[in-house]
Amino acid sequence: MTGAVTRRLLGSLGAIFGASILAFVIMRVLPGNPARLIVGPLGSPHAVASVRSQLGLDKPIYVQYWLYITHFFQGNWGYSYTEGQSVSKLIGEQLPATVELAVFAFIVTMIAAVGLALLVTYRHRPVADRVVRAISYLGFGSPPFFAALVLLIVFSSVLGILPGPEGRLSPQAVPPPTVTHMYTIDALLAGQLGTFWDALKHLVLPGVALGLASFSFLVRLLRANLLEVSREPFITVARGKGLSRWTAFRRHALPNAFLPTLTSSGLVLGEFVAGSVLVEQVFNWPGVGSLVLDAILKQDFAVVQTFILLSAVMFVLVNLAVDLLYAVIDPRVRIPAAATA
Amino acid sequence: MDPFALSVRNLSTVYETPGGVVHAVRDVSFDLRQTERLGVVGESGSGKSALALSILGLIDPPGRVTGGEIELAGRDIAKLSDRQLGAVRGKEIALVLQDPMSALDPVKTIGSQIIEAIAVHEPELRRSAARKRAAELLREVDIAQADRRLDDYPHQYSGGMRQRVAIAIAIANNPRVLIADEPTTALDVTTQAQVLSLLDRLVEEYRAAVILITHNLGIVSEFCDSVAVMYAGRFVESSGVDHIFMAPTHPYSEALLKCVPNPERLADGPLPAITGFPPDLSRLPTGCSFAPRCPLGREVARCHEEAPRRYEVTGPAGPATVECHFAERRIPAVSA
Repeated sequence: MTGAVTRRLLGSLGAIFGASILAFVIMRVLPGNPARLIVGPLGSPHAVASVRSQLGLDKPIYVQYWLYITHFFQGNWGYSYTEGQSVSKLIGEQLPATVELAVFAFIVTMIAAVGLALLVTYRHRPVADRVVRAISYLGFGSPPFFAALVLLIVFSSVLGILPGPEGRLSPQAVPPPTVTHMYTIDALLAGQLGTFWDALKHLVLPGVALGLASFSFLVRLLRANLLEVSREPFITVARGKGLSRWTAFRRHALPNAFLPTLTSSGLVLGEFVAGSVLVEQVFNWPGVGSLVLDAILKQDFAVVQTFILLSAVMFVLVNLAVDLLYAVIDPRVRIPAAATA
Repeated sequence: MDPFALSVRNLSTVYETPGGVVHAVRDVSFDLRQTERLGVVGESGSGKSALALSILGLIDPPGRVTGGEIELAGRDIAKLSDRQLGAVRGKEIALVLQDPMSALDPVKTIGSQIIEAIAVHEPELRRSAARKRAAELLREVDIAQADRRLDDYPHQYSGGMRQRVAIAIAIANNPRVLIADEPTTALDVTTQAQVLSLLDRLVEEYRAAVILITHNLGIVSEFCDSVAVMYAGRFVESSGVDHIFMAPTHPYSEALLKCVPNPERLADGPLPAITGFPPDLSRLPTGCSFAPRCPLGREVARCHEEAPRRYEVTGPAGPATVECHFAERRIPAVSA
């Protein structure tokens, strides 16, 4: 057990190291001189040189990398020259909006995927099954920004039942008192049900757009797993004991079908990080995704390289947590098979 | 007179597949006395497992039991709802399946899976008491250090041990009838013998009647009192176990017996095989379903046109029920 954990920890460190190299190299080989961009086209060569040395760009490449890494883990993420603020402050302000959106999308995705997979596998429901499969094919094939546009047209412009791309709250609404920076939670904490409802309505379309591809993937995976597991002899044995259909399904089919899905749900986070960049843009969502897209367009490299490494670290940590959770749930991972008598 | 432990009349089960209606069990009838052991033999796909699931009411769509009566100790259970059957399954009729590798849930402990079988019929039982009973059951099926091994997972058990656990689960509530569907097929030969003798001992001890589904006639001769030969969903011959070995009356029974490896017949050349294939259960022939493969009836028009009725015959080793147009003619030939 400890050996496996150590191996995974080392693997995670390796992944983060690889991501840091990639982020570092990409930012260095991109055309354009960051110092020139900061100083502006009219700045003197002298000013450019002084900014270069301020940024440490005149140092040997390995020193630059070392500084990048140490500064990153010290929380010293540099300054965004376009916003004139420290990157840590910018990300700190924008991250809760992204996290709120991602958590919402994750919850909706999981509930919908598990619920629909159950619906079409627990009993023989050919029509529902075909509908779910059609949705998942469509969802799988639509990139998030496209899904976002279609959702906006249908639910906001045509039907008018959900708000359009106006960010996290209606224009006239006042944000709730800040506690967590997540408007739904803050509104509930302050007892402002109207604000909570408004924030929730604003989450629906971007959340669905962000989660659609992951939902499509998960529902297909779960459906296939459930179908396979429910045909396993141990389900027949469980029912042969006298267990009701539902109890046998819940106790024996669900946990076994859910295991392979758990690993994939860690990968969903990666999907969300990538998707949020464009979905936030479409919905004017003031999150990290919008921040990064802006930064890329303006070659604000302090923001971009921080974002890349930060998302790599988060992705690796979440998947590490998923792996460890897997070991807790699945005894076959926990105890080596060699223990068989 | 005692009612039969289990009495099945005209049981039929179909699977409605896109390729047509598959007749898996056709008009099967039999009586099982208390503590009687019935062996059901037949090729793969002859409907043996479907029969087992039909009796337990565990046929899932697209399968469907289309008719028949199943009387358990005088009570018809064929018309019971799924919920009502829940009280019968595991309590009065228990099931042991073929593959011990997949018959236990890999992510639940052995103990919890045995306790579950006890607790579902005795919800008021305390967990500690149920656990004690589970440990006793494990000891009963010869698993060493039973108390400790309750907390192990199936992958920590060998195949033979898992099959013992499956048997422990089946006998947990002292059932009247035990249906064992190929309980030893997936095991190696020595383990087979151990599991079979364990089953033998427990069935004796618990006074349960047994339906042993197998394709191994050797096991039938050792273990069973009576035998039913299943072909294309029907019981084509049923009798006491001696009859089938002394005077197999249905040509299919005879052919099956000839396929059993026998060292004394080594000189006769290669082991015979039954030519041809079992019929497609969704496109059954109008006459006898064995006719196309039958050494007697292949050329006989009647065998292809008219399904044989059930003949009650008496051979040298007792009575038998045979579905073959030649049944009566074959008996004197054998006894002569």
